[in-house]
Amino acid sequence: MTSLRVIIAKDLTLLLRDRTALLFLTIAPIVVIAVAGFSLANLYGADPAGQTAYELPIVDEDGGELAQQIEERLSGDRSVRLRRVASREEAQRLVHDKVAGSALVIPAGTRAALAAGNPARVVLYTDPVKFLERLNVTLRVLKVRDELADTERARIVAELNEQRVRASAQLEELAATVERVRANLAMVRREAGEARERAAGELDAETERLRADVSAEIDAQLEQLAAQVNGAVASRVGALQQPAREYFDALNAARSEFEAWFAELQRLAARRADRIPDPPTFPEPPPALIRALDEPPAPIEVPMNLELRITPPSRAALDALAVGDVDLQVPKLEVPEAVVPAASLGVEEIGVDGGPTTINTFDQNAPGFSVTFMLLGMLFGVSLGMLDERDWGTFDRVRSLPVPVRNIVLGKLASRFAVGVAQMIVLFAVGFALFRISLGPQPWGLLLPIVGIVFVGTALGLIVAAIAPSRDAVVPLGSVLIVTMAAVGGCWWPIDLEPRWMRSVAQSLPTTWAMEAFNDLMIRGRRAEAAYVPTAVLLGFGAAYLALGLALFRRRLAKG
Amino acid sequence: MLDELTFEVEAGEIVGLIGPNGAGKTTTLAVLSTLLAPHAGEVRIAGHELRRAPQDVRRSIGRVPQEPALYPSLTGRENVVFFARLRGARAAEASRAADVALEQVGLAARADERTATYSGGMQRRLSLACGLLGSPPVLLLDEPTVGVDPQSFESIVVAIRAHAKGGAALLYSTHHMEEAEALCDRVVLIDSGRVVATGPPANLIREAVPGLLIDVVTDQVLHEGWLGDLAGARACAPPDAPSSGLPRGRAARVELADVELAPRVLERAAHNRTLLDFRMHRPSLHDAFLALTGHAPRD
Repeated sequence: MTSLRVIIAKDLTLLLRDRTALLFLTIAPIVVIAVAGFSLANLYGADPAGQTAYELPIVDEDGGELAQQIEERLSGDRSVRLRRVASREEAQRLVHDKVAGSALVIPAGTRAALAAGNPARVVLYTDPVKFLERLNVTLRVLKVRDELADTERARIVAELNEQRVRASAQLEELAATVERVRANLAMVRREAGEARERAAGELDAETERLRADVSAEIDAQLEQLAAQVNGAVASRVGALQQPAREYFDALNAARSEFEAWFAELQRLAARRADRIPDPPTFPEPPPALIRALDEPPAPIEVPMNLELRITPPSRAALDALAVGDVDLQVPKLEVPEAVVPAASLGVEEIGVDGGPTTINTFDQNAPGFSVTFMLLGMLFGVSLGMLDERDWGTFDRVRSLPVPVRNIVLGKLASRFAVGVAQMIVLFAVGFALFRISLGPQPWGLLLPIVGIVFVGTALGLIVAAIAPSRDAVVPLGSVLIVTMAAVGGCWWPIDLEPRWMRSVAQSLPTTWAMEAFNDLMIRGRRAEAAYVPTAVLLGFGAAYLALGLALFRRRLAKG
Repeated sequence: MLDELTFEVEAGEIVGLIGPNGAGKTTTLAVLSTLLAPHAGEVRIAGHELRRAPQDVRRSIGRVPQEPALYPSLTGRENVVFFARLRGARAAEASRAADVALEQVGLAARADERTATYSGGMQRRLSLACGLLGSPPVLLLDEPTVGVDPQSFESIVVAIRAHAKGGAALLYSTHHMEEAEALCDRVVLIDSGRVVATGPPANLIREAVPGLLIDVVTDQVLHEGWLGDLAGARACAPPDAPSSGLPRGRAARVELADVELAPRVLERAAHNRTLLDFRMHRPSLHDAFLALTGHAPRD
């Protein structure tokens, strides 16, 4: 193990003193990452730094707030840089002169049409050659349109809701008022009833009083009249009673004489007295008449306390004053359901893993080109390092020492492996610092594919070192190998851009698995578990390459 | 391809492995360094059979390869410490060993400079320092002085000799015959993967080229038979024209049994020609190799 450590330390020292190699391992990939990142930024539609923003001329013929709203919304999008131009002609010229790929015109009356509920359109002048720019700008304009529509709809809905709330409040107030009116009416009715009752009572009392007064008056008048009549009657009766009494005295005397005559007659007629009819009887003067003759005439009983029937005045007037049932059945008013304006169908884009839906171009380029340069560096480092040792004679010198060949090879591979891992970590750190790449929810998880792909690169370097006949052969051989693996494996562009058959082929390349893991961790924001399988595949590739490389290397050593 | 290559190196002995490029020197050293597995044969180093105990062999050898085999971005000290650590030394031990080794090859003053800033000679010395780490009982040197300056050469030779004196067995591969002749106790001359001759350099030279050599250069071509019959003189393979700078056909080498034959050789060379240059010298290992193989070590 000492020899292994010593060889690793030696190789690391050699590398640290090789400025060209260090430059190739660090600065070169950073430069390429930066160049590629900025160059391909628009491929992904967004550059977080806004340095590759599309210039979008905008013409406001409408002169209203619509342009301002569009500008405000697009100004927040770093992939578009707005440029106000005065006229439609100028906008067209800018597109025509290829200064811009698209130009946006807001025709006059647009806002008014929208306000009136009429359809309106903005105009987008485009250069069809600038496909990506046109696509991106169109998407953003459509997005702004949707946002504005949503905002307007939200405003209308809010206004309607406000109106509904107001109407609801007014209805409630009306209902309360009706209730109050009802209560007042009830009170009025009650009070009216009570007043009516009181009026009726008073009327009755007045009528009674009137009747009593009238009756008393009548009684008085009758009494006076009776007195007068009685006086007159007494006077007249007195005047009559004396003759009447004298008559009746005479009459009574006559009668008594008659009765004595007739009793003599009857006696004289003795036996025939029965035949003598009964003499007419003198009617007995009515006792009352006798008493009347004896007594002063009874005063005329004037009926007092006459039951005067005074027809009370008609109560119709009072009834007319009665407050009847007022029909205050206010129809139930309900606030109509809010009329929701027709909604625009928006698209909510949600990353299936909860990650962002927009991609930082460097999230693709930084790992992609880091892998590319790591593989190139690893391949050249291992293979050229081996060839250097061969050319310097140090390899044979070390082989002639009591050091297992295994340790010589493994020492070199281990040092390069460590350098590769360090290189990747440095490049990711630089990418994070300069290009704000995502390190995912668990940055340590990036170490898994890093270790896997560096292992692959190390083993590949051994294969190339074993089969390359000379240094001159390493560069073309290694370059073709790495460039192909990197390109097809999705290191330079998203693998989805490749045709299906190529993607199938790519599954046999370790770079594909490495990028799959990096994309999962960095762009899709998945946890480290997502890198387990790709890392296992990478380690499998590495183990196979290492076995092949060692076999080839042994064969080469045996050949001398 | 090595073919029945058999030799031994004793402790404290410096043995040169001599041969032209492609002779199999580097392959031999690669096998001995356990970098190449032999298809057949037996290799035993410091008592360890290579196929059975390669790690023991590796612990027993120090290897100084043909190229510096250093990490240019590391300092001299870092290189040495690195290889010392791989030999099993702890950090502190490695650091002390590095100091000693760097001092030994005269690089202590520039130990903390990157190896890439070293001259070729300094890199060779540093490479030797790395090979000497741990005082291995067997040191395998593959042309360790190629392209080095005299100062570095001297430093390397001193270090090698000191290590051999310490009891190590050194196998020194080179195609510099003079170097091997001066440094090695014995040499193993190989060509096309086979041993041509082996022994102390003086013996090999004496056996291959017993007399003196005289090289002549004329203004015209020396046709075959130009020497004629001259007892005690024998025309032999001319020195390597490209390496000697002589025009082909106008230079010749003659082996003399006696130094007194030299004027007569010169006289015959100058016949109808102008003698531009001549040099008489004792035969070297190079000459011996040339005599034994018919071609120069650098062919």
